[in-house]
Amino acid sequence: MSKRIAIVEDEAAIRENYAAAFRREGYSVELYDARKPAMEAFDARLPDLVVIDINLKDDVEGGFELCRNLRSRASDLPIIFLTARDSEFDAVSGLRLGADDYLTKDISLPHLMARIAALFRRLDAMQKPQGEESRIRRGNVELDIERMTVRWDDKPVGLTLTEFWMVHALARYPGHVKNRQQLMDAAQAVLDDNTITSHVKRIRRKFVAVDPDFAAIETVYGMGYRWLSD
Amino acid sequence: MNLRRQLLLVSLLSLVLPWAGCQFIRETESALREGQKQMLSGTALAIADSLSQFPDEFSVTEVVDRSGELYGHPLSSIPLIDGYFDDWSIPPESLRTMRGVDGPISFAIGIRGQHAFLYVDVRDDRIVYSGPGANVVAEDIFSDRVVLVTGNETEITSLFDFVSEAPGSLVAINRTGDQRFAEPRILAHWEDTATGYQLEARLPRHLLGSHLGLVVTNTKSRDDPGIRSSSYSGRLPGRFAKTSPLLQSVVAGYAQPGLRLIVTDLAGWRLAQAGDASRSQPDSQTDEGISRWMRLAYSMLLEPGKEALLAEPHPSGREQQNYIAQALNAKADTSWFRSRSDGRAVVAVAQPVWSGTVQTGVVILQQGTDAILSLRNQALTRLMNFTLIATLAVVAVLLGYSSWLSLRIRRLSNAAESALDGDKVDTDLPSALANDEIGDLSRSFSSVLRQLGEYNDYLRSLAARLSHEMRTPLTIVTSSLENLDHEPLTDEAANYTARAKEGAIRLQKILSAMSEASKVEELMENADSERFNLHEALTSTVAAYGDAYPDRKFTCESDSSDVDIDGSPELIIQMLDKLAENAVDFSAPNDPISIRLSSDTKSALITVSNPGPPLPDRMRTQLFDSLVSVRDRGKDKHLGLGLYIARLIAEGHHGSVSADNIDDGVAFEIRLPVAGSRQS
Repeated sequence: MSKRIAIVEDEAAIRENYAAAFRREGYSVELYDARKPAMEAFDARLPDLVVIDINLKDDVEGGFELCRNLRSRASDLPIIFLTARDSEFDAVSGLRLGADDYLTKDISLPHLMARIAALFRRLDAMQKPQGEESRIRRGNVELDIERMTVRWDDKPVGLTLTEFWMVHALARYPGHVKNRQQLMDAAQAVLDDNTITSHVKRIRRKFVAVDPDFAAIETVYGMGYRWLSD
Repeated sequence: MNLRRQLLLVSLLSLVLPWAGCQFIRETESALREGQKQMLSGTALAIADSLSQFPDEFSVTEVVDRSGELYGHPLSSIPLIDGYFDDWSIPPESLRTMRGVDGPISFAIGIRGQHAFLYVDVRDDRIVYSGPGANVVAEDIFSDRVVLVTGNETEITSLFDFVSEAPGSLVAINRTGDQRFAEPRILAHWEDTATGYQLEARLPRHLLGSHLGLVVTNTKSRDDPGIRSSSYSGRLPGRFAKTSPLLQSVVAGYAQPGLRLIVTDLAGWRLAQAGDASRSQPDSQTDEGISRWMRLAYSMLLEPGKEALLAEPHPSGREQQNYIAQALNAKADTSWFRSRSDGRAVVAVAQPVWSGTVQTGVVILQQGTDAILSLRNQALTRLMNFTLIATLAVVAVLLGYSSWLSLRIRRLSNAAESALDGDKVDTDLPSALANDEIGDLSRSFSSVLRQLGEYNDYLRSLAARLSHEMRTPLTIVTSSLENLDHEPLTDEAANYTARAKEGAIRLQKILSAMSEASKVEELMENADSERFNLHEALTSTVAAYGDAYPDRKFTCESDSSDVDIDGSPELIIQMLDKLAENAVDFSAPNDPISIRLSSDTKSALITVSNPGPPLPDRMRTQLFDSLVSVRDRGKDKHLGLGLYIARLIAEGHHGSVSADNIDDGVAFEIRLPVAGSRQS
């Protein structure tokens, strides 16, 4: 049985385009153009993954509302924000509400597909017992490639998919400088410099929340970042 | 010329006030003077009428030859017969002079009561006395002598010889007809002086006839008959004019304070004189009260007249003023004089005296304009004070007003200028509530500035808003194209979609560049400030530029390796990226691009310079604004946001960025406060 993806998007053309792409990948797709019909449908049955636009017609923050509502009902339901709003503030708000990823509409369809696939893969991996072989350990950090989770000093660090891929790219070869383009490719996203800067900043903050002395990500001025392994 | 000077100049117009006042005073004075002249003319006419009863007193009715006439000055006291003039009661100017051999001979004849007095001052290089023992009475001895010649219209009746044996008293010789005798009734004194001698004599008046002459003989030795100097030129001596006691008493009857009466005969000799025109009250305070200041004012402001001293009776005894000369020619005339020293004016009237149809003389009336003077004095003083105060007040008020006005305008202009300086347009201008034209100006300035501010805000947010609005339609395009990839397409169609995709990607890049500025602003708001070494960041960044732009020579100089600043290193480097990008864009391959860091205790200065075309002057200040590019067409995809972002970052770090043309290129300077220099 194919995975069911719900798309809540008020722009019909985009909605249909995404739907076509998802269907081509074998997913079944449910389309909603506003919060209310979506909520009614979700009350009846939750989909396997939800792609939400923040701005839903006149409902400016409708996507956030929807996300909060869904998260309260299903803690492990993958939720992706796909929006035209690229401000840092919106991204932080969206992720705080429990979204698994916050994507701007710049993202190409193949990249989007990769992310969706990754999310489903993670969901599947979560249900399987943890496999040692999928883990990489570099000093204090431990990456679980299958589940796409990170542990620092054996404490979990909650990263989004993009953040995980960036940490993965850095920590895999400690000491190597990864430039912005490389990080962008790793995260499978078209990101500008500032967005990468904000991502790195957010990642650091998440690690610092676990370990106040965290300093493993070093900025190499003018070049990029590298993972320091002690 | 600024406003204040202009108004000051205009305020000088208030000086017209005193001028008009003075004109008024002049007019008034002149009118009063005319009135006084009229009145005086009437009086003079009446007096002339009354004097016509005494035709005999005016000795002559027709004068043929005036040159030899002598005048007997009325003396107010009896002089001592001592050979000196200093006790005569007439001024030295009254002395007549005539040509002498060794110099001018001056003399005067005075009359007091029944006596006539003679004074002669003779220049004589060598005095020849008659010598002791000579019988001067009987014989003709050559010696220096003075001879008084008297007679009537037709003949000489007597000669009085003054011959001296030695200095001192002498006895005059009376030669009447054929008789020669020492005249005991004549008292005379001969006094030698350094230049000659002086002779003073007193003789009974009745000895002198109607004609009188003076002859001085100067000899050089006893053998020399000498050379005669004479007061008359013809055969007979000139007429002897003298005051008339009768006329004098008549005239004295008309005298009144402040009025002078003079009666002259046809030749102008004073026959009678009474009164004084100079002042009505001899001891009024006017003389003392007149300050130099007032004197100056008089001379500057009042209508100048002839000098008042000229109005005084002529010391020679003969009146020769123009208006008198007119009257002597049977035409009544008036004149007026003003004293330079106290501004006093004297009005004078000359009126011919007739006896039947024959003119016998002239009566002259002179009156001081004391009444007018005091009136004018007061008026003038008040006028001066008032106008001075008024003028000063007007000037002060105008000056103050203009200062205030120009201050307001200057404030407004400064405010209007500085309103655009900052990032935000400040639309609060001074004088906005004023109800006048400046208020209007201020309000219209404000509204213009407000519109400008709105426009600026609009421009600033335009990029971000535009990119946001365009993202959705662009997504429709890209996602459609990507879906199209999965449809079976002919090769042609695949080409087209590939091109469309290329275009879409480029659009996307443009959009993300446009939203970069707002991202940077956002980042700056959320950025955690950390202290980092600018020198290290700079050197490693510049090293990276070498790889990024292999066809430019990047150099990094730094005068200190220990420059810490507070801020976000990523942003600072982003700012540097923008400047480096800009430098690369404007330079040619293989051009050196130098990045220098210098610092002092307060600030760090990063200079990025590159060879290239200079910046146009008009763009220098706008260079760092949003959507401003100095680039020529050709290099598209440049929106003029790079330098704007550099500025945003610099200003976000409390620094500043500026651009300047240098010798052979352009230099951009970023000034950032070093760590610890800012108290926050």
